[in-house]
Amino acid sequence: MPRQFKNIINQILMAVLTIALALLIGAVLIAISGNEPIEAYKTLIAGAFGSKQRFSETMVKTIPLMMMALGTSIAFKAQLWNIGGDGQFIFGAILSIIVGLYSGFPAFLVLPVSMVFAIIGGGLWAGLAGWLKVKFNANEVITTLMLNYVASYFLSFLVYGPLKDPKGFDFPQTEMLSEEVQLPLFATGIRVHAGLFIGIAALIIMIFFWKSTFGFKIDLIGQGDPISRYAGINVKKTIVITMMLSGAFAGLAGWNEVYGVQYRLLDGLVSGYGNLAVVIALLGGLHPVGICISAFFFSALLTGGATMQRMTEIPYSIVDIIQGLVIVFIITRTAFKWKGGRRIHAK
Amino acid sequence: MLSNIFTVSFLVSLLASTIRLATPILLPALGQIYTQRAGILNLGVEGTMTIGAVAGFTCAYMSGNLWLGVLGGMFFGMLWCLIMAWLSVTMKANQVIAGTALNILGAGTAAYAYRVVFGIQSLPPQIDPFPTLKIPLLGDIPVLGTIFFQHNILVYLAFILVVVTWFILEKTIFGLKIKAVGEHPRAADAKGISVSGMRYSAVLIGGIYAGAAGAFMSIGYMNLFTEAIISGRGFIAVSVVIFARFLPVRAMWGALLFGFASALQMRLQAQGIEIANQFMLMLPYVMTILALIGSSKKAEFPSAYTKPYSRLER
Amino acid sequence: MEALAVDMQGITKIFNHKKANDHVDFKLRNGSIHGLLGENGAGKTTLMNVLYGLYQQEEGHIYVGGVKQEISSPTKAISLGIGMVHQHFMLARPLTVVENIMLGKKSGKRFLLDTKQVARELVELADKYKMNIDPSAKIWQLSVGEQQRVEILTAIYQGAKILILDEPTAVLTPQEAETLFETLREMKEDGKSIILITHKLEEIISIVDEVTVLRNGRLVGSEAVTKKTTKEALTRMMVGKDVLFDFPKVTKEPGKVKLALENIHATSDKSLPAVVDFSLTLREGEIVGLAGVDGNGQKELCEVMTGMRPATSGNYLLNGQDIVNKTPKFYIDRGIAHIPEDRHIIGLALGWNLKKNLIIKNFQKPSFSKYHLLKKKEINAHWDKMMEEYSIKADSGEDIARALSGGNQQKVILARELNDNPQVLIANQPTRGLDVGASEYVRKKILDARNNGTAVLLISADLEEILQLSDRIAVIYDGALMGILPRGAGAQAIGMLMMGKKQEVEEDASSI
Repeated sequence: MPRQFKNIINQILMAVLTIALALLIGAVLIAISGNEPIEAYKTLIAGAFGSKQRFSETMVKTIPLMMMALGTSIAFKAQLWNIGGDGQFIFGAILSIIVGLYSGFPAFLVLPVSMVFAIIGGGLWAGLAGWLKVKFNANEVITTLMLNYVASYFLSFLVYGPLKDPKGFDFPQTEMLSEEVQLPLFATGIRVHAGLFIGIAALIIMIFFWKSTFGFKIDLIGQGDPISRYAGINVKKTIVITMMLSGAFAGLAGWNEVYGVQYRLLDGLVSGYGNLAVVIALLGGLHPVGICISAFFFSALLTGGATMQRMTEIPYSIVDIIQGLVIVFIITRTAFKWKGGRRIHAK
Repeated sequence: MLSNIFTVSFLVSLLASTIRLATPILLPALGQIYTQRAGILNLGVEGTMTIGAVAGFTCAYMSGNLWLGVLGGMFFGMLWCLIMAWLSVTMKANQVIAGTALNILGAGTAAYAYRVVFGIQSLPPQIDPFPTLKIPLLGDIPVLGTIFFQHNILVYLAFILVVVTWFILEKTIFGLKIKAVGEHPRAADAKGISVSGMRYSAVLIGGIYAGAAGAFMSIGYMNLFTEAIISGRGFIAVSVVIFARFLPVRAMWGALLFGFASALQMRLQAQGIEIANQFMLMLPYVMTILALIGSSKKAEFPSAYTKPYSRLER
Repeated sequence: MEALAVDMQGITKIFNHKKANDHVDFKLRNGSIHGLLGENGAGKTTLMNVLYGLYQQEEGHIYVGGVKQEISSPTKAISLGIGMVHQHFMLARPLTVVENIMLGKKSGKRFLLDTKQVARELVELADKYKMNIDPSAKIWQLSVGEQQRVEILTAIYQGAKILILDEPTAVLTPQEAETLFETLREMKEDGKSIILITHKLEEIISIVDEVTVLRNGRLVGSEAVTKKTTKEALTRMMVGKDVLFDFPKVTKEPGKVKLALENIHATSDKSLPAVVDFSLTLREGEIVGLAGVDGNGQKELCEVMTGMRPATSGNYLLNGQDIVNKTPKFYIDRGIAHIPEDRHIIGLALGWNLKKNLIIKNFQKPSFSKYHLLKKKEINAHWDKMMEEYSIKADSGEDIARALSGGNQQKVILARELNDNPQVLIANQPTRGLDVGASEYVRKKILDARNNGTAVLLISADLEEILQLSDRIAVIYDGALMGILPRGAGAQAIGMLMMGKKQEVEEDASSI
């Protein structure tokens, strides 16, 4: 269908333009800070793709970002503004580590069971916010955000306290998972691990999800409460389930980090992936494939940016700025599309 | 050690600290009362406060004058919220996403600006913060004097602003228009009031207050700037406004409640009390959730809350 | 020559490619009461909104007091002495009367809220026109009639010499309407000029000096109202010579009772009684028209019947089984179709494409999904079939619902609701805001459903429509059933019931 094609091309074009504009402004800021933009971006690109090792670093980051953004997109489609990805990530990670360290299950069970618990953990943490919204009309933006802080402090409590590794020199971290339950790496020297398959599976599931009746229902909720009820949907139940699904993906990302990268739980496990997931979800147009690509782009930005910071004098905050600019441009662009006074989203 | 808690000196220092810690929540909350009553939910307060903090610190450091710091915070806070006003009112974008964007952007911009101005230094630059201003006579009263009348000037100003805010909202035409615009923008429009003009004003006022609060954090409460200096207070302020049903005096009590939680946490920790520190740290955030639960019934919000206004919609 | 208070020439206003006003002329003489008459959707409110500066015309000029003016906003209109009282009041509910009035006052230098002074001035003004008002009352405490008085006083207080009233009696009881007309006569004596937008012929005849008639956005004519003016003549101007709705009736008699409401009670959002002891039956293959002024409980009744509002007591029977207070899905599954009053908020997902809108109620059925996955081919085929069958004017199923005209949007809803041959159809104001062609189509489709055995409840404020389509006519007033009249009953008899006067049924052969 030519028209659908045109739409997709249009969307991609817009996304590219958005990123280009943000990068341009980034370049200006780099220049202001007394550095060479071209050099800076060269370092950034090298840092993200320069060698097999660098590329694998980018891949490593892409997986959790993509998972979290997929989760975020589920909620956003229903106009539920779940920005508590970090907290849901943490809860999933916590439950999964407990299974891994203390359940006593044989190795071949640990991986799947811990993954299930991670999904449940993230799902429940988000579901809590969903329930609060349905029962008390509590604004989910604030509740999910507050729950982020609560989860973060809870994690801190655990790793400084009951879960602390007795042999760990007093570092705020748990024991390490035994080798047999760690996710296998693809090759030595790089950090890409089997979690990649889980990520791809998640992506494929999401693509089918939006073609399913569940996806349809969630999409309809996003169109408004009155019409959803009119169509016979149980709105309250669906809201809670949607939030749970959303958090489940974040929990999965937490599992991925623990079993694939860190092999333990430590303080500060998550550093703002949740915010970034929001940006990625929006930039990807809430569509799984778009999200996958955006996740890759931002992972490159982060990985390259870290390198850039190490090798040059450029502050890492440029990356944050680019993130923020991308969102601003996206919503400006969406608003322009409907110029003439129409609302995009009714709350 | 537990016995230490129940001394007068502990209580006095706790309450004094409560007032001080309430300030960075009260100030932005007062500003947000204007914004939210006009119908706009500005979640970008957190980012605005961060910008205010860095602007305030930088201006104070560069000029050597603390008041210029405060003005700097207010000015840049207002400028930052100009973006929010433009996005929500003119572009009629989704206010939740716009606010989140401004937070992310604010965090990055503030950190970036700090780096550009100060560079990387082994010892972070510091200034002398606002000194404690003891009110003569009143400050000498035992117990009460220490609690209420021995704070820096910004704290006093914040609480005075509670009355000012109440007065403006209840007793002036400006306040009336703000309320009208949030309640029934079409009616306000039909009566000749500029809905976008009033909403811009409300958002910018919120920005001024938030910027001032950020400056308070960096030059009144602490004496330096760090990226995490605000740690969620912006969001707590937004919740306090809802919890206070958009009334200034109630917002004051709400802020004091949160200030109390923070003060308690710090003091208990210092006393080495065995309750895990992290749970105390959680307290303000848990309280915010509880506050929202208790006060979010649909009937209490301005009718046009978060809804962009357009004359053409029939 | 006496100057015209207002002279509008060749006004054209376009919304969404549709001409709401098409080269309309309107002249208001000083010190007169001028009626603006027309059916729902004729363009009366639009024209006045242009005069009041809420909209700007695409073509045409406006002269106020002989001087050409660009009325760019309500502020400008107010400064020219034009005031408007809208159909939906522009009052902020939690504020007091005085506060609402002060919103409009050109504050200028005024900073402080001096309610006492304004309150005093307000009471003076109210007394002058023999109106009763309590300045410190909050709006939500006032009755509808009192709120309207506040609106009128506000306009006068702001200095209005030209007062526009949009369907003011739509929400008033007959007594309140009479009081209003007294007030209007006082104001006319005082030299004010008044424009009365209405679709009620009695008002035109009783109080208006001159009338301008609009139909479908165009000017039909303008004339003085004298003792010789008849309702029939006015109607002909309003509706047009062609009586469009003479459908050849299939003489299938209605069958057995399908649906029964027994003593249904329900409350409104404000916890006031909205539906009071309401009983009605619907038979197979029958259209029962429910007539009544908007706001008399129709919305709440509809919601009870579709599960969107609980009935506080009473029975709701389908084929003899009680189905009261179930979920919306329950009713949908049992073949109760619903064309909602508000097609934009409830009836359609405006941001979605048409294909998806068609299946919002049955996307989970086997025809459209298998193992929970949507069957794309079947959904596409379904759209193609519906587009053809219902002549929906759209480029493709991918079109976004928002982009369609009102008539086509309603066709999408019809396709969705009628396709499965529903047991019951509840059609709430199905032709509101539609042009004549679309209205005709919708009515025909409703009739087809009836002839196919569907039990139809047609809720409409359009008496013409009720008269044309109904096998029986019920009237609702203040949430209660006033009476049921057979087909062929006269508009006058129905009108009486609509006014709340329970009367003996008149077998009145006079038609409108």
